[in-house]
Parts: sequence; C-alpha cells; structure tokens
Amino acid sequence: MATGKPVGPVLRMSDDADAIIAAIVDDNPGQEVTVVDRGAYTRVSGDGELRVTRASIERHLGRGFEMRQLGGMMSAFAGRIEMTSEAVRWLLKGQESRETA
Amino acid sequence: MARMAREKWHDIARDVDWDLSYVDYEAVFPEWMSGQGKIPRDAWARWDEPYKVTYPEYVATQREKETGAYSVKAVLQKSRVFDQLDEGWKSVAKEHFGAVALVEDLAVYAELRMARFGLSPAWRNMAVLGALDETRHTQISLYFAHELLGKDPQYDWAHKAFRTNQWAAIAARATFDGMMMNPNVVDVAVQLPFTFETGFTNVQFVALAADALESGDINFANMISSIQTDEARHSQQGGPTLEILIEHDPRRAQWIIDKTFWASARLFSVLTGPAMDYYTPLPMRKQSYKEFMQEWVAGQFVDQLRDYGLKKPWYWDEFMAGLDTWHHSMHLGVWYWRPTVWWNPQGGVSPEERDWLHDKYPRWEEQFGPIWDVIIGNVNNGRMELTLPQTMPWLCNLCHLPIGTAGSPRNEKYPVRSYPLTYNGRAYHFCSRPCRQIWWEDRDTLHDPTVIERLLGGQIQPPTVEGILTWMGLTPDVRGDDAYGYQWARSYEGSTTKTRPFVTEAVAPSQPAADGLPVPVNAMFADDLITQLVVLLDSDTVDEAARKVAAQVVGRRVPPREAGLVVRLDGRVLPGDITVAESGISPMGVVNVGWAE
Repeated sequence: MATGKPVGPVLRMSDDADAIIAAIVDDNPGQEVTVVDRGAYTRVSGDGELRVTRASIERHLGRGFEMRQLGGMMSAFAGRIEMTSEAVRWLLKGQESRETA
Repeated sequence: MARMAREKWHDIARDVDWDLSYVDYEAVFPEWMSGQGKIPRDAWARWDEPYKVTYPEYVATQREKETGAYSVKAVLQKSRVFDQLDEGWKSVAKEHFGAVALVEDLAVYAELRMARFGLSPAWRNMAVLGALDETRHTQISLYFAHELLGKDPQYDWAHKAFRTNQWAAIAARATFDGMMMNPNVVDVAVQLPFTFETGFTNVQFVALAADALESGDINFANMISSIQTDEARHSQQGGPTLEILIEHDPRRAQWIIDKTFWASARLFSVLTGPAMDYYTPLPMRKQSYKEFMQEWVAGQFVDQLRDYGLKKPWYWDEFMAGLDTWHHSMHLGVWYWRPTVWWNPQGGVSPEERDWLHDKYPRWEEQFGPIWDVIIGNVNNGRMELTLPQTMPWLCNLCHLPIGTAGSPRNEKYPVRSYPLTYNGRAYHFCSRPCRQIWWEDRDTLHDPTVIERLLGGQIQPPTVEGILTWMGLTPDVRGDDAYGYQWARSYEGSTTKTRPFVTEAVAPSQPAADGLPVPVNAMFADDLITQLVVLLDSDTVDEAARKVAAQVVGRRVPPREAGLVVRLDGRVLPGDITVAESGISPMGVVNVGWAE
C-alpha cells in the first residue's frame, strides 16, 4: 500500500461497489485513492482520512441513496469512522504511540 | 414523508437515562459485572459511538441484508454448485460452521451483558443492536449448514461441535468464555468488539470470503461477508469504551488487549491458517494466511492500536515469527490426528503445493518437509496405521492447543518444547511464554482442565484412542479422514521410508500394571512437531522409557536411524539402565528423548 496511514472502507461484492468507489474518488480531490480488488472484497484506501457524501453516491448510482445502506455493503474498514446521514469519514486521529520506535 | 435528520434527535434519544431512587447504583451496576474499576462514574457521559444507527435504520438495513443472503441461497439451492465444490474447500466450510455457529450464540449473551451492565445508555443501546446482530449470525450459520446435512453428516457439527468435548471445541470455549462470559463488560468491550471483532474476525469473514468466492462457494462467501457488515458496526462499541478506559487506567487497557490478541492468534492458527494454506485448492488461493494476517491484523489493527496511543503487545516479535510456523504445525497435527476432527483435512502437500509453501514460507521445507516425507512414505507403503495416532498431544493449560504448535521443528528461536510451571504442588504446561504469563495473571479465573488432565484424572473411559474419540462425541461417520483419499501422496510413489512400528494399546492405563506404577509424562522426541502424553512405568528402565516415547514418533513423523536413544531430564543425560523411579522422572514432568550422537 502506497500510503503511510491507510484508512477507508472494505466493500463486499455488490452491484453498487463501483459507484461507491467512484463517489469516494470524487469526494477526495487531491488524495491518492488506492483500490485493491480481491474478488469478494475491495479495499479502498486513502492516507490518514477519506470521506464520501450521500450526494456523490446518488450521482454515481443515478438514484436515491440513504447513508445507512452503506452499512450493508461495508464488511470492514481501516481507521476510525464518523457517520452522519449526509457523509461518512474514515480517519486516524493521529495520536502518537508512547512507543519509541 | 420528510423525516427529521437523525443528527437532530438521535443523540438525545439514546442518552435518555434515569436517576435511580429506589435502589442503589451499585446494586444495579455491580462492579463485578460493570467493571468500573478506576473510572469515575461521570466519565461515561462522554461515551459516544462513531457508527451511528437508529433503530428504524437498523431494521431496514438488516432486512435488506437478510433478503440478499437468503435469495442468493435460494437460487443456488436449485443448482449443482455445491456438488462441484472441491472436497478440501468443503472442509473449510465444515470447520467454520462447527467452530463459529454457536460462538455467535455466545456472542449474543456477551452483547446482552453489555446491554444490561454497560455504564452509558448510548452503549447499552448499541449493544442491543449487537445482540440482534449475533442472533442473526447464529441463525444464518445454522440454517445454511442445515441445508447440507442431507449431503454429508459432518455438517451436523455446525450445531453439535460447541456442546461436545472435542478438543478444538474445548479450546474455543476456553478462549471465548474468557473473552465474553467471565469478564466484566468493560473488559468484554475491549476484548470482543475492539480486539477480536476489529482485529481477527475480518480474516475469517472477509479475507476468507475471497478464497471462498474463488473456490466457487458463492453462498458461503455471501454469508460470511454479510455477517461481517454487522461486525463492522457493532465492533465500534470497543473504541469509545477503550478511550475512556485508557484515560483512567491505561495499564488495564493494554493488558486486556494483549492477552486477547494472543489467545485469538493461537486459535486462528488452527481455524484459519490451515483453511487458507492447505484446504483451499492451490489455484484458488488469493493470498497466503501470512499475507492476509499481515494485511488485516499486523497492518490495519496495529495502526488502530497506535491511534489510541497503545503499544504493540510485548510478545510482538514472537507473534510475527509465528505467522511462519504456527499454522503449519497445527495443520500437520490436525491431519495426523484427523479422526479427532469433524471435517476432512486436505493434506495439501503435493509437489506443486509444496513449491507454493516453500515460496511463501522459505523455511517450510526444512522445518516441515522431513515429517511429511515420513508420512508420505507410510501412505505409499500401505502402512496407514503409522499415519494415525496412538496417543494424544500434550495440551496447553491456557489455549488448550497442542504444545509445540507455538514453535516448530528446527527452529532455534521458538523450538518445540513445553514451558512448565509448578503452582500449589501441581504441574502445568504451556505452549509458549505468553500463554504461561497470561495464565499466571488470570489463574484465579481459569479452571478448565485440558483433555490430558481429564484423561489422567480417569474421566475418559476406556483410556484408549477409541475411548477418547467417543468421549469427544465423534461418531465413526463423522471422524475426519484425508479429504482426497490420499491422492496427493501418490505423486511421490517410488519413494520409500523404512518403518519401525511399536504397538501400545492403552493411552493411559486404567489401573496400575502389576509390575509398576504408571508415570504419565509430557514427552518430546527430537525433531518432532509436538510434545505428547506417554505413560511410563516407574519400574521401566530409562532405555525402556526411551523406546516407549520413540514408539509414538519414530517411523511415524521422524525417520528411523541406526542410532541409540538417550533420555534427557533437565538437560542432563540419564543412564539407560536405572529405573524411571530412580531417575527422577516424575509424573506430569517433561522428558526429552533423542538420538545418541
């Protein structure tokens, strides 16, 4: 993985996965978004923080979308999550470990 | 209908709580269940889950998930997809169903304990959804397996395994009781949702789905990845609890993560490791077990730990080194003791598969190849009795897995050996230093005897391999055998291995033999992969004792040699002509046997 602190969703196989990924790319301009497809799951990663909005997902799907529906597609995620009805963020808060390494 | 946005009302609704006036707070939230410890009561007011879901949203989403999983199943039921699946792959599913279905049920109670004793209303609310999730997981796992019962009685173990005394079931119960049922709910939240469900279940439920789909088991891939979407949500109970705990008691937080991570890693080396690197057909493997563990656990979970300001566990190097060996030892042990499992382990060591293993694990051939070569020779020479056990591996008092499997043969740093401990006059044995240390810290809550202790205590009668299998609940129709009828060994035909069989009937004598008292020992033979139970007599000479230990290993897993045997006790060589009674070998002690140089 090219990023230092990879965060982002792991999407299970579904018809809508491509639209979600396209929406994530749209919503994170200037971010390098890495997509690793392992068949049954696709790992989408950005460095430190990634977000996606309901508006972008609806634009790519061409129909209405409720943010809760992302819950049925996301088998896991890297980092922490913050979820509202309009947007989801995956992030690391970047506390430094007490470890000296 | 326009609805008020969730953000405008949900936090208020879920924080509704009441002040107790008829009963004491301590009576409602007793310390031993709620686990407040050093955390002040008002600290819980800031508990805030990051993955917000309302009940109506929950119901709508779960309905969609269930519809998706069951409609795929309904379609596939009409097809011949299942009949075309690889036998090795089917064993992955059988192992999963038996090992997981009723652990999901146990998790219902863990969630309900948090829903009752959690110290914040927001947390209790989320745990209710968690309990509903785990109910779904239990039901879907039992239901999907039940449909296959007509095709193969081993699927019956989806429902049966966890209620039996089969050794892996005992190991799973010990670990999961320690994670879900014994601790207070603060510890449960850090152990189960934070450590286990964000660290490990991803490997079994998401990573394994990649192998499942590639192997053509669409139904299974769909089921497990659907289950994990629930885990991704309810596992978020861990973070907010952990944040509060770290603020007030960071040592406790670090310790419960460390011990849970280790116990989970030990269990996954038998559950997931062999499934990915041996049972999944070679062309279908997306990555090796080590690579999946690096992706999901070593990478993703450790980033998370650091983000919370925690350290990697103290045994980190040992865990990472174990990714090269543990599951290979476990696979070899499971295959050798195959009648003791409810699935058919695929040997998975044809020449092509060995090339793959060698490529992924550069020391595999050196460490495990010689043992497989002895087994292959026996299979091809029709000496099947030498490929089947006549005694049991010695089991770890913490993880209940065979001693030796936290190391490997020809491994300088982590060799095959027992880490013993005498406490209150009793001998305990451990597979590793971390298991011994965790046991020491938690010893007041750990009272599960191992199968070996139950056998020596006379609870298993008759004390023979057949008696043990029956006691474990393994009826002859479900006992494991090689998934492909040993076909993989045929490609080696022509190679021969000399065999030198020794036959012993009982694993442990039910009564003292006339000429001596039984001395059960934890015996290790040089270059073998595990230590095992061998019952000596105190009247045996040390030479006779050496032969009894060799009989369980030489010609079975270690090639015979034209050399004498020596017995070592605490590092010194014992004279061969003295008796066991005179030698200092003690019941439940460690005995090392090897070749005289």
